[in-house]
Amino acid sequence: MQWRYCKPDRWLTVVALGIALAFGCRANAQDTPATQPFETHAGYIPTISGGAAYIHNVNGGVTTLSPQINPVLLVPFGSHVLLESRTDFTGFFQRENQTSGPFKGKVFKTVDYAQVDWLANTHVIFSAGKYLLPFGLYNERLVPVWIRNLQDSPITAAIGTRNSGAGDGFMLRGVAVQRSAYSIQYSSYFSARSDINQLEAARTAGGDTSIFLTRLRLEAGVSYQRFLQERNINSVATYVSWQPRTTPLDLKAEGDFSYNGRGYWIEGAYRLQKQPIPEFARRIQLVARMQQFFPLHGGGNSLPRVDTHKVDFGFNYYIRDDIRFVSSYGRSFSSQGNANVWNIGATYRFLFPLWPARKK
Amino acid sequence: MKRSSFTVTLFLSLMALAVIALVSQEPNTSAKPAAQAAQQSSPTRTGEQVFNDNCVRCHTPPSVMGQRITGTIVMHMRTRARLSRKDQELLLKYLAP
Repeated sequence: MQWRYCKPDRWLTVVALGIALAFGCRANAQDTPATQPFETHAGYIPTISGGAAYIHNVNGGVTTLSPQINPVLLVPFGSHVLLESRTDFTGFFQRENQTSGPFKGKVFKTVDYAQVDWLANTHVIFSAGKYLLPFGLYNERLVPVWIRNLQDSPITAAIGTRNSGAGDGFMLRGVAVQRSAYSIQYSSYFSARSDINQLEAARTAGGDTSIFLTRLRLEAGVSYQRFLQERNINSVATYVSWQPRTTPLDLKAEGDFSYNGRGYWIEGAYRLQKQPIPEFARRIQLVARMQQFFPLHGGGNSLPRVDTHKVDFGFNYYIRDDIRFVSSYGRSFSSQGNANVWNIGATYRFLFPLWPARKK
Repeated sequence: MKRSSFTVTLFLSLMALAVIALVSQEPNTSAKPAAQAAQQSSPTRTGEQVFNDNCVRCHTPPSVMGQRITGTIVMHMRTRARLSRKDQELLLKYLAP
């Protein structure tokens, strides 16, 4: 039995290394120097980036106060090696008796990822350490509080991200093909099981590939993951992301399939920046999302155990490019009871060097 | 809900979103600036195009970014967004000329 479980891992490892070698060899032949001399004044110094937020959430009458800060540490070693890490500090405060009494809670600290990247060439970026699992649109791209349009995660965000949303091991990613009209990207990874504090991860292998149509600004992709603990589980996500050139519209949709259930979400966000309205009103962003989830084999693993449907409407206001007011209303429908979900708060994105400039 | 009706719902929803987005697009009139038209049809991309095609798709761009940290940030985003080396160079030229 042990051999049977090991076989796919070895196969996947061989495939991953094969891809890396193939692209690496190809890259040596294709990575020609730029036609013009490459001149820039860009600096490579350690940097702190990230987001902070305060969210007041009311879910089915239960209030949760959630201040959070997610600093991202970036330490470059030259222009080809980067150490990057994100830590999440999120406070979770609720009333003692859910709806009455004083607020009590604690701050949770989590290392989301801590990885070293070697930017070998166009086709290969090698990452080692604890990395975010590249599954679907949400986990890698939309988790930061200052990026996401709605503060509540989609129901299916738990698919393909067990147990911590991160993997411990190595990952290969990069651009497989790039043309003027399209580009094809890929990611492949293998993660070992870990129960070490702050390095929790499951034994998984998988990958993601997407095609981006440059002129349309349309991306379509598929992610696959094989969970290699206890029961071997396949999870698949397919997604589309579209940002038309002429309209400040952001459309995203994803369908997820796994042993524990299947579902989808569709989200649209529209900024009023091009509308013939007063300047202050052009900073408004309107958001809507609908999602459905249908459990299989009893659901579970952070997924609902009954059919669940949810609609969300959001209203965001960009005070500046780095500060915004966020609010949303959602209603979830399930046989366990319908509930209203309210969110109101603010997000802030920060970005600064780790040490001051030299005096001239 | 049966699998077939779920698939039909998903398909119809995606189609509806596509139609809404198409309808909401501004008409493609001849008033479009010639430079913009030339830029879109040009086989060679500029740093600004790379920026608009990749960075702005996920988040609002920072209004100010010091040149000293531009290289670090672009390395980070190249890893996250799976950008090519050429795109990285174009971005650096655009953000820190």
